[in-house]
Amino acid sequence: MTRTELSEAIAIALDALRANPLRSVLATLGITIGVSFVALMGWFLAGLDSSLQHTINMLGEDMLYVDKWDWSGRTSWVEVSNRKPISYRQAQELADAVRTAQYAMPMGQTRAQLSVGSRKAESIPVAGVPHDYGNTPAGAVTRGRFFTEMEGRSGAPVAVLGPVIAKQLFPDEDPVGKEIRIAGQRFTVIGVVRQRGTLLSDFADRLVLIPLERFLRLFGSGQRSFITVLKAGSLERLDDVREEARLLMRKIRRLRPEQPDDFTINETRSLEQSIAVLRQSVWGVGLSMSALSFLVGIIGIVNITFVSVVERTQEIGIRKAVGARRRAIALQFLAESVVLCTAGAVLALLFCTGLVLLVRLLIPAAEFLTPYIPPQHIAVALLVAFTAGILAGWAPALRAARLHPVEALRYE
Amino acid sequence: MQPLIVLENVTKVYRTEGEEVHALRGISLVVQPNEYVAIMGPSGSGKSTLMHILGCLDTPTSGRYLLNGRDVSQLDDDELAYIRNRQIGFVFQTFNLLPRATALKNVELPLIYAGVPAAERRERARRALEAVGLGDRLHHRPNELSGGQRQRVAIARALVVNPALILADEPTGNLDSASGAEIMRLFTQLWQLGNTIILVTHEDYIARYARRIIRIRDGRIESDTPNPEPVHLEQLPSMP
Repeated sequence: MTRTELSEAIAIALDALRANPLRSVLATLGITIGVSFVALMGWFLAGLDSSLQHTINMLGEDMLYVDKWDWSGRTSWVEVSNRKPISYRQAQELADAVRTAQYAMPMGQTRAQLSVGSRKAESIPVAGVPHDYGNTPAGAVTRGRFFTEMEGRSGAPVAVLGPVIAKQLFPDEDPVGKEIRIAGQRFTVIGVVRQRGTLLSDFADRLVLIPLERFLRLFGSGQRSFITVLKAGSLERLDDVREEARLLMRKIRRLRPEQPDDFTINETRSLEQSIAVLRQSVWGVGLSMSALSFLVGIIGIVNITFVSVVERTQEIGIRKAVGARRRAIALQFLAESVVLCTAGAVLALLFCTGLVLLVRLLIPAAEFLTPYIPPQHIAVALLVAFTAGILAGWAPALRAARLHPVEALRYE
Repeated sequence: MQPLIVLENVTKVYRTEGEEVHALRGISLVVQPNEYVAIMGPSGSGKSTLMHILGCLDTPTSGRYLLNGRDVSQLDDDELAYIRNRQIGFVFQTFNLLPRATALKNVELPLIYAGVPAAERRERARRALEAVGLGDRLHHRPNELSGGQRQRVAIARALVVNPALILADEPTGNLDSASGAEIMRLFTQLWQLGNTIILVTHEDYIARYARRIIRIRDGRIESDTPNPEPVHLEQLPSMP
């Protein structure tokens, strides 16, 4: 293939596009829709992945949470809700007994009303934790400090706020040193937790941490289910810690050998698993939708390219008469369908970029999504469009290339 | 001197709906370089088929065709395209220009398929258009040109590759007589410059310009004679 043939083919294709802009846009609509699906899907999943990574980094990869609840949603909901709650005593016993973990501590959780003066916030998650929690990534503070061992043991009325709830209660001032009420009781704010994973923003960034002693006094331990938080210290020790915790917990819960675990050891990884379900359904729907639109798109392009071959029959005759070989003619029509498809893809990417910006602007909850289409998805979309163009142009291009010059010249 | 064209007993049979049409029934012919030949005949005589075979647009059913000493009667599509590109310049009755392309772009067309780089292409196309008197119409599209001017663009396109043979099929058929005379004057000048020209026509006054007249009837050569009194350039109206 000579360079002049190729550049001529592309020039002809662009010219054909200019000659029939409306027809071209309509013909390429299927490709446009297909590429839009691929791009939007990619955009959504990339946003999901990056916020998941964020969340895992925030919680720490070496964290285990022994809980009645299965965070990944893989154990049946009925089975999980029938489990007996993990009492404070059991959670504490496990924390005391574990040898392999770097930190082990019980944690209690509830929701309560918060207020500052007349400003109120309902149903805010409140966690009671020991002072050690300040040593885990989830307890890292940006402003102020975490509570001390002394404050922890005595159950001092001090609170460390999640960044979002801090902003909500104190929009214009530094919350550290201020007084708040949790379930009607006075607390002094001593710190604000670092901004966190956006995936859990509703929960983690609004969480209020108070000393566990104070939590028990305020909310009681009754039927509440507690969590044992374990920090393995390194990824290599994660398996050992998990195994030890499992055996200890089975003993604490007095399970017979044939009984299944009535608790789940959650990991930050289990978040990945719960995301995986979402991922799969997004992929499944997205892929089948885009495959369908590409199919429709390719049929549209095949059709329009055949029309173009018929319309240009005499031109093909002229070009053959002056020495165009089959290859050059085929290239001309392949270029036309590839240019059409690529133009459709570019149109789609412009449309999607607009849509992405609009979503970011109008829906604050979509904050975890990136404000652009990931470059690798743009590359894939263009590549797929290019391939679709070649597939769609193949049959018409072959027909054009095989036309007999005399018959083509005679065609009116 | 090696003949430019040697046809040996060339036949062409078309099959349409089970019916066989014998367009050419054994044509033998020799054309030397720098001849000026008119092929004449009524419609249906086979003269168009002969032109297609001479122009390598089609291949004979049997017989041999030697162009510049090379047998081209059995070549495939692409090989024929190559020969057309390098050796043959066509001028058609209906001009056959690309409607959306400028005169310059139309004349560049054969050079594109010869793989000539863009700058050289433009320069050669410009010179060919100047040679046919259209130096001031380079960027006009066919619909902005008169019939005579369009045909001159087509002649420039035929000339631009320096072909061994210029084949013109009823070149004045769609022109008024004044423009037709201009075009014939141009062909005659090109012949005087050393080109080999074959005209296919059914009009006596066009054939009078040629130096040799071959008459075809029913797929056979009826007569092949020198033109006893060819038109000389002095007898023509001068070009505007």
